Amino acid sequence: MSIRLLALIPVAVAINLALSAAVDAVNLPLFLDTTGTILGTALAGPVVGVTTGVLTSLTNSFRNPTYLPFVAVQVLVALYAWFAARAGLFRNLKVAVPAGLGLGILAAAASTPISYKIFGCSTSGGVTLMTLLGRKLGMSDIMACAFSAFVSDFGDKAVTFGLVATVLHALPKRTAARFPLALRSIGAA
Amino acid sequence: MSGRHPFTLLALAAALPALAWTLPAPWGPAGTFCSALVLCVLTPGASPGLAVARRALLTAAPFWLFLFLLHDRATALAIALRLSTMIASFVWLVAILPPARLVEALVAAGYSAHFAFLFAATLSAVPALRARAQRIVDAQRCRGLATRGGPLTRLRALRALALPLVLSALHEVDERALALETRGLSAGARRTPLAPPPDSTAERVVRWGLVAGCGAGIVARVLWRA
Repeated sequence: MSIRLLALIPVAVAINLALSAAVDAVNLPLFLDTTGTILGTALAGPVVGVTTGVLTSLTNSFRNPTYLPFVAVQVLVALYAWFAARAGLFRNLKVAVPAGLGLGILAAAASTPISYKIFGCSTSGGVTLMTLLGRKLGMSDIMACAFSAFVSDFGDKAVTFGLVATVLHALPKRTAARFPLALRSIGAA
Repeated sequence: MSGRHPFTLLALAAALPALAWTLPAPWGPAGTFCSALVLCVLTPGASPGLAVARRALLTAAPFWLFLFLLHDRATALAIALRLSTMIASFVWLVAILPPARLVEALVAAGYSAHFAFLFAATLSAVPALRARAQRIVDAQRCRGLATRGGPLTRLRALRALALPLVLSALHEVDERALALETRGLSAGARRTPLAPPPDSTAERVVRWGLVAGCGAGIVARVLWRA
């Protein structure tokens, strides 16, 4: 791995964990905690993305250990972002946002068994409320858990993909050209 | 306990949650949770043990509430004790193991300097970027950015907050790469740790004992279920 890509990983992890300040300021029900993972992958490929995802889960678990079991979701996000970048799905918002919705479905499917088996669907107050709502609507335990994961992830991943596409287009061409996958991600190569 | 090798502390912090999930509930997880709490209370150093235990209990408390809202008493108790073991073990590990000491142990054990850099650089980059994010939020508010209103207004505000943060972070990558090359990180040479943590045979035996104990717990659980 080149030194530039090595230097990118801690920055991408920090982006994952620092964007919560922006989200808190606008008070939207989003996490954006995979932005750095997706951006790192779109710039430099799956090794950077997967490493960013794993390090994000590890670093986050120092603050709150309950993030650690979700490391598999970060890896899945990086792999999906790699396919999206290779297919040029960050070329504009009209393509990036639906691709993000697709990731939302996959991420919800991957996080449901972890949330159900390890946490009993109690990962946060919002998830607990959504699981209770799902049960009131007549769903089984696991379906109610999947429903709450879907509600949490669907919009979040669409906004994250849109944000990453915006960042990639805002990058100066000279900066983007220093990363191996950046121009391909936005359909410019 | 703080003088122990970082790998021994890591093994202990990983073994307690592993045993909590393999031993039968409620007594198995209750035992591991009590053990983790005792470790927290006995934490030496700048952060007093009771404060560490309180942090663990406060982090675990919401899960108890959510679980008792969602499940019957027996299921909620089993999951809550297992989660609390995991939380208390990690809170104890963070309190007792400085990241720099873990990095020294990794380098001494022959792990690549790249690996050690990633770990150390991440831990220093996160608080710096968080502080910058807060400065950007304050600056944009001073310029009159509306962060309240309908969802579209908020999304536009989010773009105005997130874009400068992410772009400024990406511009730092070149500076960091240059600094790393200057320090010879690209050469692939093996680093010598300044103060490698001592690792005794007894500690290695304890670590393998913990791995064997977890393995035995899993086998016993599978046989017990069969």
